[in-house]
Amino acid sequence: MGYRAEHLLSLLKTVAPLLLGLLGVIFLALPMRLFEGAAPTPIIPLVVVFFWSIYAPAYMPSVSVFLIGILQDLLTGGPLGLWAAVYLVTQFVVMSQRSYFLGREQKVVWLGFALAAASASLMLWLVMSLMSGVLLPVGGLLAQMATTVLIYPLFGIAFGEFHRRILVEA
Amino acid sequence: MELLGQDGREGLGRRANSRFVLILLILVSILLLLSSLYSAQASVFKKAREGVLDATAPVLEIFSGPVAYFNDIAGNISDYFNVLEQNKALREENAELRQWMNEALELRKIVGAYDGLQTYRAPPAAQPIDAYVIGETNDAFARSMIVNAGRAQNIEAGYAVVDNRGLIGRIVDTGARASRVLLLTDVQSRIPVFVEGAAVEGLLVGNTRGKPAIAITEGVDDVEIAQGLRVLTSGAGGVMPRGLPVGVIDGGHGDDIVVDLYANYARTRLVRIINYEFPEVGETPSADEEVAATVSEG
Repeated sequence: MGYRAEHLLSLLKTVAPLLLGLLGVIFLALPMRLFEGAAPTPIIPLVVVFFWSIYAPAYMPSVSVFLIGILQDLLTGGPLGLWAAVYLVTQFVVMSQRSYFLGREQKVVWLGFALAAASASLMLWLVMSLMSGVLLPVGGLLAQMATTVLIYPLFGIAFGEFHRRILVEA
Repeated sequence: MELLGQDGREGLGRRANSRFVLILLILVSILLLLSSLYSAQASVFKKAREGVLDATAPVLEIFSGPVAYFNDIAGNISDYFNVLEQNKALREENAELRQWMNEALELRKIVGAYDGLQTYRAPPAAQPIDAYVIGETNDAFARSMIVNAGRAQNIEAGYAVVDNRGLIGRIVDTGARASRVLLLTDVQSRIPVFVEGAAVEGLLVGNTRGKPAIAITEGVDDVEIAQGLRVLTSGAGGVMPRGLPVGVIDGGHGDDIVVDLYANYARTRLVRIINYEFPEVGETPSADEEVAATVSEG
């Protein structure tokens, strides 16, 4: 393999989690209406940001997190910077607790993700309530975050395999 | 010793650097958030939103086909379980609709007769543009859909969007070939409406709940707003034509008057965007105003 190709490959590996996050944002914008719209769409970018911030922050630089958040803000048409701030604060909190999570059981990490999702929800709800001037109902948000937390183990395993086999090994 | 220290310093330096960037970006996001609060329609933000709309529309369009296919399969499976009930409900609805059809045919004849009168001038007809829903924001607070028609189809911000049931929202951003529809349930949605038969005008205010509420702007204080009255767009403030069906009154919820929307967002696939040219105001608006004043007083 030439020097160029190697360089390109390593670059591709570094931005792979970013691409996954962006795909997650696109997934959020698809007209998924399972069970008459009763099943909320999981916020996969949150999982991506959380996972790589714990296990390999080098693959999830803050700029990537920022880009994922900004794309989500632009695509949902909401206030610009909201999701970027939510994801970045999540990364900040997660990275400050990183040494605790590393090497722990998956169950513990899952609990950590639940806490991160809860704090992200609180932030979202506070900002949106402040902006709209009324206390907004929390039902939809809680359902969506609960779905995201429920599917976390699945994506945790998938991302783990992806990271180990493709990003690190190959 | 030297190596270890170097390593440590290096590691510390790198971490401190990334943390600095992280905090910097958090501040940038908050700054963006604050500035978008005060200038949501600023041209930079608008351009960015439209750019993203155009960039993602092809991707969304590719994915929306298979997604709709799987939604249909899931929908079919749940339909099998209640096909008998649905059939019965549809038969009843069909019988009811046949009566309405006869009545409508009768009324069309009468309206036709009025049309023939010279004093009557019909309002300009709307020019609908059909589009498919290719995306929607699955977000707890932001409620919007992305449709595959944009400036190329002469769509502009503010146009009303309906499906086969009733009003679903209005256009807020227009890209070259895709636009965003702000749904009636979004917190930012404000649609001028009136309640048929109750002489009440108001704004339909979205609050992320399935059933938005009416904030009354004009009407008699102690007016009784019965359940089941129809809610239609009032056309106040321009752009949206008067009389688009929105929903029915679904009782009160505290002080609010809650509206059960005709729209079922889980089933909206094909929409119609209404390009409506408002009639120019004539030379004698004072007479109209007098009439309006007496109507609202009475």
